[in-house]
Amino acid sequence: MAMTDTEVESEQQAAGGPSHPAADLPQIWPKGTDHKFIGSLFVAAALLFLVAGVALSVLMRAQLATPDASVVGEHTYRQLFTMHGVMSVFLFLLPVWLGLGSAIVPLQIGASRLAFPRLHAMSFWVFLTGGAMVVAAPVASDVFHGWALSDPVPVKLGLPGQGPDLLLLGLVLVCMAAVLVTVNVIVTILQLRAPGMSLRRVPVFSWSIMVSGAVLLLALPVLIGAFGLMFVDRHYGSSIFSGFTGSRGGNPLLWSRLFWFGAYPMLWALLIPALGTASEIVATFAGRPLFSRDRAGAALVGVGVLSFAGWGSEVSNLSSNARPMFIIGALVVLAPVALLVLNWLATLRLAGKEGDREALRRNFTSTPMLWTLGMLPVLALGLAVSVVSALDAGRGAHANYWQVGQQHALFFGAATIGAVAALSFWAPKLWGRRLSAGLGTLEVLAVVGGVLLTVLGMLLLGAQDMLVHTATFSSGDDWALGNLIVSAGAAIAGLGLVLVLLDVLSSVLAGRGKAAGADPWGGQTLEWATTSPPPLHNFDALPEVRSGTPLLDLRRAQQFTDSDLTSEGAS
Amino acid sequence: MALVTVPVSADNLPVAASDQAPLVLPTGAPLPGPVPGRPRRGTATIGTLLLITADAMVLGAIAAVYLTIKDGAVTWPPHGVHVSSYTPTMITITAVMTAFSVQWGVFAARRNDGRNAAIALGLTLFLGVAIADLEWLTFTRTGFGFNAHPYGTLYNVLIGYHLLHLLAAIVVVLVLAFRTMAGHFSDDRHDALRAGAVFWQYSNVVWFVVVSVLFLASRHG
Repeated sequence: MAMTDTEVESEQQAAGGPSHPAADLPQIWPKGTDHKFIGSLFVAAALLFLVAGVALSVLMRAQLATPDASVVGEHTYRQLFTMHGVMSVFLFLLPVWLGLGSAIVPLQIGASRLAFPRLHAMSFWVFLTGGAMVVAAPVASDVFHGWALSDPVPVKLGLPGQGPDLLLLGLVLVCMAAVLVTVNVIVTILQLRAPGMSLRRVPVFSWSIMVSGAVLLLALPVLIGAFGLMFVDRHYGSSIFSGFTGSRGGNPLLWSRLFWFGAYPMLWALLIPALGTASEIVATFAGRPLFSRDRAGAALVGVGVLSFAGWGSEVSNLSSNARPMFIIGALVVLAPVALLVLNWLATLRLAGKEGDREALRRNFTSTPMLWTLGMLPVLALGLAVSVVSALDAGRGAHANYWQVGQQHALFFGAATIGAVAALSFWAPKLWGRRLSAGLGTLEVLAVVGGVLLTVLGMLLLGAQDMLVHTATFSSGDDWALGNLIVSAGAAIAGLGLVLVLLDVLSSVLAGRGKAAGADPWGGQTLEWATTSPPPLHNFDALPEVRSGTPLLDLRRAQQFTDSDLTSEGAS
Repeated sequence: MALVTVPVSADNLPVAASDQAPLVLPTGAPLPGPVPGRPRRGTATIGTLLLITADAMVLGAIAAVYLTIKDGAVTWPPHGVHVSSYTPTMITITAVMTAFSVQWGVFAARRNDGRNAAIALGLTLFLGVAIADLEWLTFTRTGFGFNAHPYGTLYNVLIGYHLLHLLAAIVVVLVLAFRTMAGHFSDDRHDALRAGAVFWQYSNVVWFVVVSVLFLASRHG
């Protein structure tokens, strides 16, 4: 597969044939290997799974909204709990970044396609198959409890039926598809950059996708191995993760360590592209290059590398010797994120000093910028909460709602808001139309407000020590207020996300969105140097690349020449 | 000052082309260069290397599980389990031979020597099938089942993991052998062949890791 794609290429090279390979691929479905088309399929699938995941969380929160409720029983609640986590992470955040990455990265680096177009198409269908298996799992029979699949630990004993097997194999397929897309995108960045675009000039978003891809490339295979062995345990009746350590038994402590070794860096890898998106949007709407671009790139790499240091903070059965190391690991990864936030603020401050304040203020009300501004408080709250929960790593109190709040602030909140910001920013390139501006403001208010409410409620419950897996509580528990806040926040945020989906449907499918034009935002990178949506081969001509912001260079050069001409005319 | 107007093709747009402002790129330099998108050399090889990195992490996870369980076991391997190291040694020797033969194939193709390349790949395939055969034999002769104890499970998983890679590598090299005979590779066009050879070498590496974990790591008890 991999080899054949390149061969097609070199054969054309030999024959001096047409320059864009998409034209030479089998014409049964001409767009079937187009990276923008497959990318939007990933995004569409992710949005559908997101709405399904939101529906599950609304059910859960309905159960927990009032004391002694019986909307869903404890048994159903546990199933919802698992599927909500699995779907949000593996079926929404993962594919939405895979889709946006594979659709936008070739445009940003001035390539006409991905390195392996057919492999990309295959990855999507593998992903969809895996996703369908995951969704079908709880229908077949009961699945594990918790998205870490850690309960019941002796997998051999509990959970008869096909459900858990389906879930495990579905997740293996999803992770394998993600690895294939990641390989594809990284090779594209390494091999297909436009002339003049050195690695240091790769746009920040593409850079963040590459860093996040490198993390995924190392983290997801560990999960594949873990899910595979768990499947062997369940399906063939072996006992790797069950029984007691001894000659005939496995090691029940192994599972959570193996899982979090892969899952912890993966969660950070799903936040990294959101940071890249925000950097891109802030720079674009500030109308100047990102403050200290190199440092921003280094900070992203820092998040990626350090994300491997803190996995033990999620594991409750660690030895006391290991704990300090993981506390430090979970703390240091926060530093580069904070550094990046400072970069954004410095960019905006410099833009205010140098440029037209009025124009800057106008730019602040564009929907992508609103999303980014909304992301800031959520990210800041997430970082602050993470400091506390890192210090608490591995202790008993850890498994309460404080941890839930932290995960929802960083990975549900900031990462999801970043993904939606990326959607509204790059919708012109994906679909040729803008998303609705009026609806966009409403979405930002609902999602950001809802997420903040949810997280604050969760933190309150964490301070009151409500445990993670609580399925119901009595009026005497004092948890009524916190739970009501969380439920209200979840409902508002859920409504906002449903609005996002409706917005995409009406703007794109029903064609109500404004035609975007090639460069609606005054972009700085190559994707804005082609039509919206771009043709199958992406570019008819490319501007010269002499920095990380080629279009900004062109615009400034033109201003310079224009003023030159007028002054000459005056004299 | 030169202005280059990028033509908007009407075929691919949901929005009528007339609604879009024509894209004007101001420039001082000669602009419409060649459309990029032709990969630099070695794309397939780099892709294979990245895929191998991911694959090695799966193997690493399984090996880590094996070593952890072994570490906590009272006796390892469990009582009554005897695994001969004869066939693994034979497989190791054969694997080393294929490491040379497959590389011979690549070097021959790079010297435009199609005949030698085809012979080398044929020899590689022959040795590969021999390894697969020996491996199947070790499966049938272990005397313990898949689920008797964690040792048995992981023994079979690890050897099966290599067998899976070997079979994939055999398919890859088979296709490459046919393409060599069809004259697809030459001194300036052999990226696919090199990528296939890299994958073959990696399947050998998997074997060496499996052997080290199963047979060379010190036993106790």
